[in-house]
Amino acid sequence: MARPKNRVGYGLPVILAIVLHVGVLAITLLRWPTSDPEPTSSAIVKATLVRTETATDKAQRAQEAQASAAEAKKQQKADQAEQAARKAEAEKQQQAEAVARKKAEADKQREAELQALKQAREQAKEAARRRAEEAARAARQKAEAEKQRQAEEAARKKAEAEKQRQAEEAARKKAEAEKQRQAEEAARKKAEAEKQRQAEEAARKKAEAEAQAKRAAEAARQASEQALAQSIAGEEQAIANARQASEAANGFKNLVKRAVEQAWIIPSSAGNQQRAVVRITLLPTGELVDASIRESSGNAAFDRSVLQAVERAAPFREMQSLPTSAQRQFREFNLDFNPEDVR
Amino acid sequence: MNDSLSIPHLILNASLVVQLVMLLLIVGSIASWAVIFQRGFVLRRARKAHRTFEDRFWSGVDLNELYRETPAEQEVHGAEHLFRAGFREFNRLLPKTRSSQAILDGVQRAMRVAWSREEERLNLHLTFLATVASASPYIGLFGTVWGIMGSFMGLSMAQQATLSTVAPWIAEALIATAMGLFAAIPAVIFYNRLSAQASRLLGQYEDFAEEFHSILHRNLQGRDERDAA
Repeated sequence: MARPKNRVGYGLPVILAIVLHVGVLAITLLRWPTSDPEPTSSAIVKATLVRTETATDKAQRAQEAQASAAEAKKQQKADQAEQAARKAEAEKQQQAEAVARKKAEADKQREAELQALKQAREQAKEAARRRAEEAARAARQKAEAEKQRQAEEAARKKAEAEKQRQAEEAARKKAEAEKQRQAEEAARKKAEAEKQRQAEEAARKKAEAEAQAKRAAEAARQASEQALAQSIAGEEQAIANARQASEAANGFKNLVKRAVEQAWIIPSSAGNQQRAVVRITLLPTGELVDASIRESSGNAAFDRSVLQAVERAAPFREMQSLPTSAQRQFREFNLDFNPEDVR
Repeated sequence: MNDSLSIPHLILNASLVVQLVMLLLIVGSIASWAVIFQRGFVLRRARKAHRTFEDRFWSGVDLNELYRETPAEQEVHGAEHLFRAGFREFNRLLPKTRSSQAILDGVQRAMRVAWSREEERLNLHLTFLATVASASPYIGLFGTVWGIMGSFMGLSMAQQATLSTVAPWIAEALIATAMGLFAAIPAVIFYNRLSAQASRLLGQYEDFAEEFHSILHRNLQGRDERDAA
């Protein structure tokens, strides 16, 4: 009778048992990674958001500043042409002009101004003629004002210009303007109007020449002024941006602090000198991601009460209404706790 | 946080005692499964062999021929072992004594010895399964108690007694109990199943021994009558 091998060795059973255990282990290992990614992914998102914020913010701000500067330049050019052509009043305006002129090339500006002066001269001629015939006071005043501006510009450095500036000042106060008007009226009565006009024209021409010379001299100065003013404008813009952001930020921070203080139950063991700094991490929706003690007060109960206060005050919905740049800033921030503030 | 609660991470971070307990349980589990497989193979083979031998035995073949079929030095198991032991004793005693009672006593004794050898062979290592089944829950429980003890010791050091400070310790400790149960449950189930199979086989051997005994008795009875005649 041919019998099969009787003895059963332990080799195969041991291998089978080990394979079985490895299989069970593999199942437990394989099932875990599928549930793992959720938490880790959220952690990654959190980390990257906090890190990238500064870099992008800077670039954005720089871009904004450049864009606004370019816009300002364009506007300034346009304003310059207009102002040079039409309005010639007051030192205020001139200052504005000086600020505005920064950008423009010196030659271009000078040409524009020359043209403007020519136009003004023609206008003045016509006005004077009209005045002589119809005594259009308003027109004449305008012409006078133009002349005065030119005279004033010239007189700023020269002795002759001083006279004209005095006249202009008088006109500005309207006392001199009336005087002149009276004088003109008298002249008209005396039929010396033409003479006066000629004199005025001569004076105007002289003033124009002087103004031109002065402008040429000022061209260089303006070029340097331009750079300065541009930097000033940029700085102002940056300051304004920063102020706006910091105002919003302070507002939100105060809000959070007030909410947390209201929710804070100060433990009796806390002394006034104790102080804890809490690091708060928020979502863009204002929900609390994490709050941890950054600087411990040394009193465990105190630290715990602080954390509980933050958690109780938690969803800071005002976060949603913040501008994006400020929101980034508040993804992570510190809060300073001191019982003295509340008591 | 969740990463630190994965099972491999917990096992690697457990304290030394808990790790040793886990190692012991894993070894016990592997050994018990090895025994389960080995016994399963042995019993299945023994069942098959028994069926083949019974068919052969009751097919009307001459007992001397059946005895001579397998060489004497080859080791045999099961009912065949009983048959060979009994028949050898019968053949040896037959020429020496005239008392049929003495012959039958000798045959019965020889078969009882063979039967108890078979019993020992079939039940080999099943006690190990019983040991693993009963001991490993306690071992796992020991690991759990030790781990929870550690967690409370750690808790006394901590500033804040939050759930998150205790949870990893307890989870780690509970893994030991889980492993104990993991080792014990198959051991219990298969111990019952395998020992039932073994006792059923032994019962069949016993039945065969009785039947063989009655056949010999019949033969002797015939010889006595011949002698008397």
